[in-house]
Amino acid sequence: MSAIDISSPPPAAPGDEGGGQVLADTGQAPATDGASAQGGDGRGPWPPTVLALCEKYADICRSAVDPLEIASTLEFEGLGDEAARRRYGHPDVFALAQDMYFRVPCDPEEPELLPDPWEGHKYRPALHALLYGLPAVCFPAAAALMAGPGVLATLIVALLTSWSLAQSLAYFGYTRLGSGREHAQRVLRIGLAVLLVVVLIVMATIGRIAHAPLGILAFGAGECAYMLGACVLMVLGDELLMLAALAPGVLGSALFLALGKPVGMEHFAWAALAATPLLALAFAVARTRIGTSSPGARLVGPADLHGALPTAGFGLVAAGLLSFPIAAGLHGHGGTNPGALLCTVPLSLSMGVAEWNLLAYRRRARLLLRTSNELRAFAMRARLALFSASVTYVVAAAALEVLAAVIVKATGALPLTWAVVPQVVAYLTLGSAMFIALTIQAFGLRAFALASCAMTLAFEIAMRDLGVLTQLVACGELLVALGVYAALALGRAVLHA
Amino acid sequence: MDVALSAEGAWPHQFGGVSVWCDQLIRGMPDHVFQMVALVATGHEPIRWTLPGNVSSVIAIPTWGPAEALPSRRRRRRSQPPLAELFEVLLAPPRVAQDRFTALLRELFSYAQEQNLPAVLGSEDAVRLLSDLWRGWPPDSSKAAPTLQDAVLALQLIEHALRPLSFPPVQAEVVHAVTNGLGALPALAAKWRYGTPMILTEHGLYMREQYLFSRRLPYRWPVRALYMRLLRRICAVGYAESELITPGNVSHKRWEKQLGADLARVRTVYNGVAPADFPAVEEQPSVPTVSWAGRIDPIKDIETLLRAFALVLRELPDARLRIFGSPPHGQEAYLVRCKDLAEDLDINESVAFEGRVEEIRDAYAAGHVVALCSITEGFPYTVIEAMTCGRPCIATDVGGVAEAIADTGIVVPPRNPRAFAEGCLTLLRDDEERRRLGAAARERALEFFTVDRAISAFDEIYMLIGSGRPLVTADAESLGEQEPSVDLGEEDTSLLATRPSA
Repeated sequence: MSAIDISSPPPAAPGDEGGGQVLADTGQAPATDGASAQGGDGRGPWPPTVLALCEKYADICRSAVDPLEIASTLEFEGLGDEAARRRYGHPDVFALAQDMYFRVPCDPEEPELLPDPWEGHKYRPALHALLYGLPAVCFPAAAALMAGPGVLATLIVALLTSWSLAQSLAYFGYTRLGSGREHAQRVLRIGLAVLLVVVLIVMATIGRIAHAPLGILAFGAGECAYMLGACVLMVLGDELLMLAALAPGVLGSALFLALGKPVGMEHFAWAALAATPLLALAFAVARTRIGTSSPGARLVGPADLHGALPTAGFGLVAAGLLSFPIAAGLHGHGGTNPGALLCTVPLSLSMGVAEWNLLAYRRRARLLLRTSNELRAFAMRARLALFSASVTYVVAAAALEVLAAVIVKATGALPLTWAVVPQVVAYLTLGSAMFIALTIQAFGLRAFALASCAMTLAFEIAMRDLGVLTQLVACGELLVALGVYAALALGRAVLHA
Repeated sequence: MDVALSAEGAWPHQFGGVSVWCDQLIRGMPDHVFQMVALVATGHEPIRWTLPGNVSSVIAIPTWGPAEALPSRRRRRRSQPPLAELFEVLLAPPRVAQDRFTALLRELFSYAQEQNLPAVLGSEDAVRLLSDLWRGWPPDSSKAAPTLQDAVLALQLIEHALRPLSFPPVQAEVVHAVTNGLGALPALAAKWRYGTPMILTEHGLYMREQYLFSRRLPYRWPVRALYMRLLRRICAVGYAESELITPGNVSHKRWEKQLGADLARVRTVYNGVAPADFPAVEEQPSVPTVSWAGRIDPIKDIETLLRAFALVLRELPDARLRIFGSPPHGQEAYLVRCKDLAEDLDINESVAFEGRVEEIRDAYAAGHVVALCSITEGFPYTVIEAMTCGRPCIATDVGGVAEAIADTGIVVPPRNPRAFAEGCLTLLRDDEERRRLGAAARERALEFFTVDRAISAFDEIYMLIGSGRPLVTADAESLGEQEPSVDLGEEDTSLLATRPSA
């Protein structure tokens, strides 16, 4: 296979021997003949060899930012001062490049589009929706196994703890991912160990205060452990392992529930529920194993805490808002709240929709930035895009709620009446507010979402005697506040590059 | 004496020619105390060189990490930096109002020392300012009209470029920038804050490399043009503010003059090698052998070397080509390409890719002649090391190669296999002439290109500049320096003209 002609230089190279070789190298005739070729600036007929050179380096001449860029390319291609003098009649390569620069009009090619960071996630949000929704199956199974003082208190504390800790761990993981996977793995591994200790302390404390039995505390600890392990896997992009970890708990619970919670199967159900957090932790530990070469950078700095604390705070408050209707019951003083129980699964699933919607919104805003050249017009179009994303979310979430209601009604799992509607509407409002809160936090704006959600939760707790009405008012106000803030803040071009 | 070095992407975090040079310089002057200000990407880079005892500190300045890594500043803004003027100057043709740019850069430095310049550059107001000012730019093309995304990206690039101005300036008696461009900003900061005299060394020509590199950037024309103009103007400030400019070879002067350097302050100081590490090699290989050593990298143009060697084989069928070295991380594909080419040329029986070699001098000893086929170089160590060993070189006429070799080897145009092959054949065929050239090469290297000579030159420069005495402008020290034929003639008013419209 010696098909290559070794005696001639590679195609893009002018030799430096023998005048006129460059012309021959181009292998093509000049576009215009010498007689009619006039420089655009009236400099007279183009010397034929410079013309050929302009042809040969047309791309470079058209897109050069100044003559020196052309000079650098000519030199790089092996054309030096000597050739510029001898062949093109210019004192040096710089003068030749300048001549070429002013002969060829600026007409740059468009570069390939920068990779869109929000592209390539098309199916991941659907998987996430599943991962958010599936754990809900475990709770009714677990509820059947647990009785005694402090069940609700332990579950609520476990929920709050796991959300806030997982949010802050995810924050550390994602920020480190920017400087390399190994950095992220290191911080996740150490963070996981530290936060598991925090979980044990919290569970021991709640056990003391609420006199909860060991089994319930173990379930709470398991819930937290699963959330932390799952968070590590999600940051590292190992969603399928998350699914594998969830499988025993979810399938076991489903089987247990489907069989009507038979008395002899409790040990089986417990084992299935225990397998999920243990698997999640095992996977998380396995996926954060790194080589002996330590990256040597400081693990956590003050700037990290500055970012992680609001994130953890938001996790806590969001968990509080979502669990408040279940904890408060229908009239603010405990008891079963069928509307709230109905909403948990569809709302979890809708977070997958929210994620997909957020990515679509970010792609849209980037496109707008690329096609606008005026800030005011961009801001208006970006607001419109946000509005339409929010509407899409509400419609999808409402559809999921209706679907859930139909299934629940058909199976008779919960006693449903029209009385649950206000509660469902309150949840829908809260879900929309959470979508907007997630969106603005995705742009690094954390303070407003945290403050407004915290105030809303405080209001709900203070006014819990009014039942669902409080939630409707509080969530409605939260939605309006976040919506107005987002419309103002996310109209800024700098956020969308 | 306290000396601060500043550089981008070099010692002690990276390998390469500039790093070797820094290491030699510091170790060669144990009586001076050095601080190193190193521009790095994220700040997570490990130190890869052993620090000599006379290095008092290494200050790493991350230019690409998160903005939180910058020194914290009061959030309240008491005044605005002169952004509008900065953009106006950058949008003007190169060289116009360069003094104004110097003053602006200095103002931005003062601002960045007290307040949060990155935040201002990342603000919506800055986007508004730039997108208003550059409407209708470039003046001669409607196709490249800037968008809002271009404005945001351009501001991000400017913000990263100017980050070194936000860090506390280094304190020393002399500050020595060993690269121009962004690597010179810490030196400028020291000069402006403390009046520290500054010198500037260039091994590779920064701006020339940036022009070549910029063609691969994924930005639209307005972004690339604005950024390149910023870099070009920063380089011009680097030249203008230096007491002395010390390029690693004479040929750099051509570019330095183009970029506005005052040639009266340019004094070439060549790289050098330690003669003890490269003793004369007497033995010759048994078959006619061409040896090559270096990084397997596209700029070394090994493909032309292979094509040339295929021509050599036609005349000398038992000749051998031995290639010593390995590809840097990320360039492994190039090695594969070269091996494929050798196969396609049907010369792989006679070409050996030897990989890394423990002692580089063994690579030079392995050939009758040492080849360098690069398309760009500064003042390559390969050539002067081979010369010190007494091996004649066949090399391409790039950077300072011709200055190094002069008449002790053969210099041919780059990317020209035929000329390169003829050079190889000349040296391989004529034993007597080759030995004569080898001896002359060693003599020349020992006279001009020893590390002692380079170090004593800088020792003298540090002493002179540190003491504040006037500099000798005579250029007698550097050898055989002939004024390269750089003559721009008319001062480029033509740059003010616009190009014909598309």
